[in-house]
Amino acid sequence: MFQYDFMQHAFIAGTFVAVMCGAFGVFVMARGLSFISHTFSHIGFSGASFAVFMGWDPLTGLLLFTTVSGLAVGQMGVKIFRRDAAVSVILSLFLGLGILFLFLSNKQTNFATTILFGSVVGISRQNVIEIVIISLILLIVLILSYRVLKFDSFDPAGAHAAGLPVRFISIGFLFVLSILVAEAVQIVGALLVFALLTVPASAARHLTHSVFGMILLSSLFSLIGVWAGLSLSYITNVPVSFYITIIEAIFYFLALIWQTVRLRWTKERTYRAKNI
Amino acid sequence: MLKTLDVDHINVIFNGERILKDISFSVHKGEMLGIIGPNGAGKSTLLKVILGLITPQEGKVVIKSTNKKPVMGYVPQSRLIDADMPIRAWDFVSLGLPNMIRPWLTGKDRKKVSKIMQETDTIHLAKKPIGKLSGGEKQRVYLAQALARDPDVLLLDESTSNLDPEAQESMTSLVHHLCESRHIGIIFISHDLHLVKKYAHRTLHMTRGHYIIGKTEEIMKDEKELSLCLHPPYSDESITSVDQQINQEIKDERIRTY
Repeated sequence: MFQYDFMQHAFIAGTFVAVMCGAFGVFVMARGLSFISHTFSHIGFSGASFAVFMGWDPLTGLLLFTTVSGLAVGQMGVKIFRRDAAVSVILSLFLGLGILFLFLSNKQTNFATTILFGSVVGISRQNVIEIVIISLILLIVLILSYRVLKFDSFDPAGAHAAGLPVRFISIGFLFVLSILVAEAVQIVGALLVFALLTVPASAARHLTHSVFGMILLSSLFSLIGVWAGLSLSYITNVPVSFYITIIEAIFYFLALIWQTVRLRWTKERTYRAKNI
Repeated sequence: MLKTLDVDHINVIFNGERILKDISFSVHKGEMLGIIGPNGAGKSTLLKVILGLITPQEGKVVIKSTNKKPVMGYVPQSRLIDADMPIRAWDFVSLGLPNMIRPWLTGKDRKKVSKIMQETDTIHLAKKPIGKLSGGEKQRVYLAQALARDPDVLLLDESTSNLDPEAQESMTSLVHHLCESRHIGIIFISHDLHLVKKYAHRTLHMTRGHYIIGKTEEIMKDEKELSLCLHPPYSDESITSVDQQINQEIKDERIRTY
């Protein structure tokens, strides 16, 4: 399947998106931002439609909409977005706007499917270069802010007390997350960015107690899902995101089972040790 | 004795009510200052002013430091930790290390964390997830994290209040030991007069709008009266609620800025 340019493109872009989503996902989960990332992806859908309506590159519209909303959420505070009502209103509003822009632009429904569910064939050489550059920038930001971000995500009270600029960190993180969502939407689609950002990280936290270990495992799960998803999608012609979600879900349930079994086993062992 | 912290004529007004009225005192190196007083006397507010989390309307706080920038360690009464995202106690302590731009830890950093964990008697917990520790163990791990930055002043806001008496005693005695071995200034808020009497060199007694500070023996002269004053049979809810409001505001700020 690698004789086709589009498959090469999909694999290169997919690899970068998978690793970044896996790594950032650990912080998304630790900071309790999973639904905000979901909201971002819907805002991204609307942005992509807007771009098509204006005759721009979809990535421009995606980045514009998600980063502006990322900064807006940061300014207003994440707390409002924790309320169910606020999330539902914003989600549906932007979904509606996206549909309006699609209608106005008179584009074929093909585009809607691509941006909502992701596509293998839709990735051009230009897209690949954009995705690689954005990923590398995000990776550098992650490396430089790694310890600060780790402190603030896993022990917010401690970070506050230690005098870290917590407000700046949270706005900065939302901003970076919004860029990542815009990038990932092109591969996995707006509806399933959520899956790559949350499920691998949730699986990883059952298997290790070190933050770095979580990041490695989460990236690995995400990468396996994307690679296998792309290959299976190529063979069977079923959308990539279906395979990605099912593989990630399997990882999650296996991790859950593993943790339960291990807990029971250690309990039994200590019980026996006490009774000998 | 060398001064490490100078609190200079602090005034804090919140919602038109004066929480702190013209408070001045200083803390020396190697000294433990106990703060006692009833609820709503502004004890926590005072610590937050020293930490820089609340800006006073008047007055200033000066910290004399051997570091480039003064460093403060803070151990609150309790802490929100996501039980779903447990990290090991060792990693938790290492979060507090300075020089955060470097993404990895050096061998020196690792040695320092292990040394601090030995100092605080938590080294045997190093591999356990923080969520699985008991209350007393957690507090010692928080203390270790605060020490990782080599603070000039250590602030403990009722850090032992949720513990059983035995754990309270051992934690406070550990803090007392650290105060001498590290030669740093320590301020601790406590409701336990027995602990303050035993470990504080000096005591700051706050009541609503007034305060006295002096050698612990002098402040504690009339313990019976003091005890009545700290745990009054009546409760002034309006003032307590102001303190709660401030705490809530800080909590809100924290949640808002996640």
